[in-house]
Amino acid sequence: MPAAIAAALPRSAPRRIALGWAVATLVVAAASAPAQGIGRDESVYLVAAESYATFWGELARSPARALAGLERFFAVNHEHPALAKEVYGLTHALLTGLGLTSHLEGFRFGAFAFAALLSWLLAVAGFELAGTGGALLAPALFWTVPRHFYHAHPAALDLPIATLWLATALAYWRCIRDEGAPRRARLHAIAAGLAFGAAVSVKHNGWFLPPLLGAHWLATRLPALRAPGGRDRGRRALAVFGAMALLGPLVFIGSWPWLWHDTLPRLREYFTFHLQHENYSWHYLGRVMREPPFPVAYPFVVTALTVPAAVLLVLAGGFVHGLARLALAVRPSQREPGPAPAGALSASDELLLLLNALFPIALIAWPTVPHFGGVKHWMPAMPFLALLGARALVAAGRALWPARAGAVTALLAGLALVPAARAIAHVHPYGTAAYNELAGGAAGAAALGMQRQFWGDDVVGLLPQLNQHALSNARVWWQETTYLAVRAWQRDGRVRADLRWANAPEEADVSIWQYHQEFRDKEFRTWTAFAESPRPGEQARLPRPMAGLYLDEVPLVAIYARPGAWR
Amino acid sequence: MSELRALLGAAAARMGTAAARAARTALRLLWPPSERHWAALFAAGVVALSVYGWWFYSALPARLPSTLDWRSAAVVLGRDARPGDAVALAPWWAERAREVLPAWLPVMAFPRFAGEDLVGVRRVWLLALPSAPGHRYDLAGDLTARAAAIAGPQRLGRLELTRYDLRAPTLPLAFLPDRLATATVSVGGHACARDARGVFHCPGPPFVVVAREVREVDYLPRPCLYAHPPPGAHLTIAFPAVPLGRALRGHTGIVGEAALVGVAPVRLSVKVEDQDAGTFEEPPAQPGWHPFQVDTVRHAGRSGTVTFDVSASDVERRHFCFDAYTLP
Repeated sequence: MPAAIAAALPRSAPRRIALGWAVATLVVAAASAPAQGIGRDESVYLVAAESYATFWGELARSPARALAGLERFFAVNHEHPALAKEVYGLTHALLTGLGLTSHLEGFRFGAFAFAALLSWLLAVAGFELAGTGGALLAPALFWTVPRHFYHAHPAALDLPIATLWLATALAYWRCIRDEGAPRRARLHAIAAGLAFGAAVSVKHNGWFLPPLLGAHWLATRLPALRAPGGRDRGRRALAVFGAMALLGPLVFIGSWPWLWHDTLPRLREYFTFHLQHENYSWHYLGRVMREPPFPVAYPFVVTALTVPAAVLLVLAGGFVHGLARLALAVRPSQREPGPAPAGALSASDELLLLLNALFPIALIAWPTVPHFGGVKHWMPAMPFLALLGARALVAAGRALWPARAGAVTALLAGLALVPAARAIAHVHPYGTAAYNELAGGAAGAAALGMQRQFWGDDVVGLLPQLNQHALSNARVWWQETTYLAVRAWQRDGRVRADLRWANAPEEADVSIWQYHQEFRDKEFRTWTAFAESPRPGEQARLPRPMAGLYLDEVPLVAIYARPGAWR
Repeated sequence: MSELRALLGAAAARMGTAAARAARTALRLLWPPSERHWAALFAAGVVALSVYGWWFYSALPARLPSTLDWRSAAVVLGRDARPGDAVALAPWWAERAREVLPAWLPVMAFPRFAGEDLVGVRRVWLLALPSAPGHRYDLAGDLTARAAAIAGPQRLGRLELTRYDLRAPTLPLAFLPDRLATATVSVGGHACARDARGVFHCPGPPFVVVAREVREVDYLPRPCLYAHPPPGAHLTIAFPAVPLGRALRGHTGIVGEAALVGVAPVRLSVKVEDQDAGTFEEPPAQPGWHPFQVDTVRHAGRSGTVTFDVSASDVERRHFCFDAYTLP
């Protein structure tokens, strides 16, 4: 290795591993992203990102003019905070400005950066929990889940919030744990405040962090306040929660200029939107869920049917292992006031990990919370489950053969991760259609009556056929794929520029049907609209698809065309 | 004999002692469970699921049909199927068949066939993916229960083709949605105009149309007459010269998600030769393809006018769809 590079690398082993993971994540995400389509949400965020970036550029050049036009720049997608989209706007401006990437890849580089940061955090936290094995395995356990791998690519909000949730919890953890290092505790408190501010500036899930961490603090630190060191513990709590209370809103409002005017009414509008979020129809175990009460088991069942089986067992084993350690730690003989020395059982550490691994899932399990969108809504739990799973694998290796613990752990990890990596290779880029071997893959899930896909991005698999066969200037009905996504593809030259937008199958020459049980009528309307008039004495013929996208024989997308519209 | 019994008894006693000893030893080794036991159990689970996962993805291509298999099915059906045949799919979601099979051959992707009339179908070809994950045999059971003869199964690679000749096929004298071009449509006595596509547009709000469509009712495709009831009036559809038999049978339903809501039923009154034959209600918030039947025995063998009258006291989102056919 050249000396200059070696000198630039971090000195500590965990940081080197973390850097390796971050770089690997960035490279793999960048390499595998072009195959992935543009989801509904992402298409809106792309437009918002560019608009927000234009504002910040304008603000640097001409503040008065930028502030005068603030409303115009931030009107788009103002139901979600701005930070992630601003990052996407920044990477887009930088990379396309330098001519390094396509427009879409430029936006998505911001998402890859969040994914890389998540890998870094997982490796660092994994090292603290379980040494080198933990640092290597925690990111691996997270990323070999096909749906997580999918979420590493889009310029969306779900992976960034999972990253920043973990960052906030880790900073809080370090702040309250670092006995005898008040300066470091203060730095960690500030980091927690900034990470929390970034989290709420990405997605509303972040607002649940203070009550969750507060509950953890009350359960683990409040009883020990009167013990020796209690005052220090109180100070740390004040620092970390004070930083979150102060820096959180500052970052939130500072990064979201939409709130710079009419702050209170707009805050009210924002919270009301999310408290009264629309319920989207969702196919689950043979029925279409539409209105609450929704089944409590939903997030648990979907997790069990989408995380590769061996990885699922490792994550579940890690959770049970954490519960067992918590039980051991709170036994009277083990209970000591204050934090435990490194490596020892710590009820506080266990409770923090377990709470964060369970709470995001339990939140979505609540019957009145909207149930849709696959695993993305409880993804903040998954890094914690990956940490617990990594530690369980390392502990199993140590318990089974102490003299060869590393080899045993590596063997078990390989056994868990290799089939999972194969599953990713099998389903990519159709991650929202990924189901595990317990479900029977996509085919088994279709038979079970599970949601086949969402976000309208799987259509990417048929773009070459569309470009090749659609008649010139054909009007195309894209169903779930948004106008903005089509425009983004056209901008990058991936969809023919002459193809026109149609609002309904009846107006279209080409109809792209994306299988959604709840929208089945739209396919049948296409049949009606595109049916040829029967010849005398013949039955009416329904049109047949001109092209189809199938995953394990399960139809995801079908293209229909009027007679003569498909060359 | 008694010696043999004694020998067997002694052997059984020895085996029992040995088993008890083995159980005691196993218990001593395993209980209380140590960290190593739990780790071994965990590792065994990881190994088992890893092997299963690897096997699943390795075996998957061999469980699913190849392009050649699909082409073979298309060739066989193109050669052997005839008018009055239809293709059923098992599992029902294997709708690649729509893309691959001859366009003139109807494909029925229904999860079950119990209760389905299968109008106009004499023979059903069940195209199955017997090794696919999630495959079940309940569709074959439904068809077997209705079959007079079964031919097959014929293996076509990883596809399986079986022909079921229906014992009592539903072969209508007339399927009224297909005769819409001959009908007259009116609202409150005012005629509705027919456009070039054969859709009747009625006086009043633009949604009051009558069209021959395929629409989703309870998630399944139903060829039907789409007839949205008009506000405060009756929609009348009269079919002249309909061949009549022993019965007029049909179904009613509300299209799409609107079937889940609604406050008032849609009423469908049927007249045969200007005589009231019955009134049926499509209830609100009860999705389904609801059957109705009218006795027309006294008109059997003749042709006559069949008139439908559609109305509702609240027409909000009443995307009403119905079919009707006369049976010999």
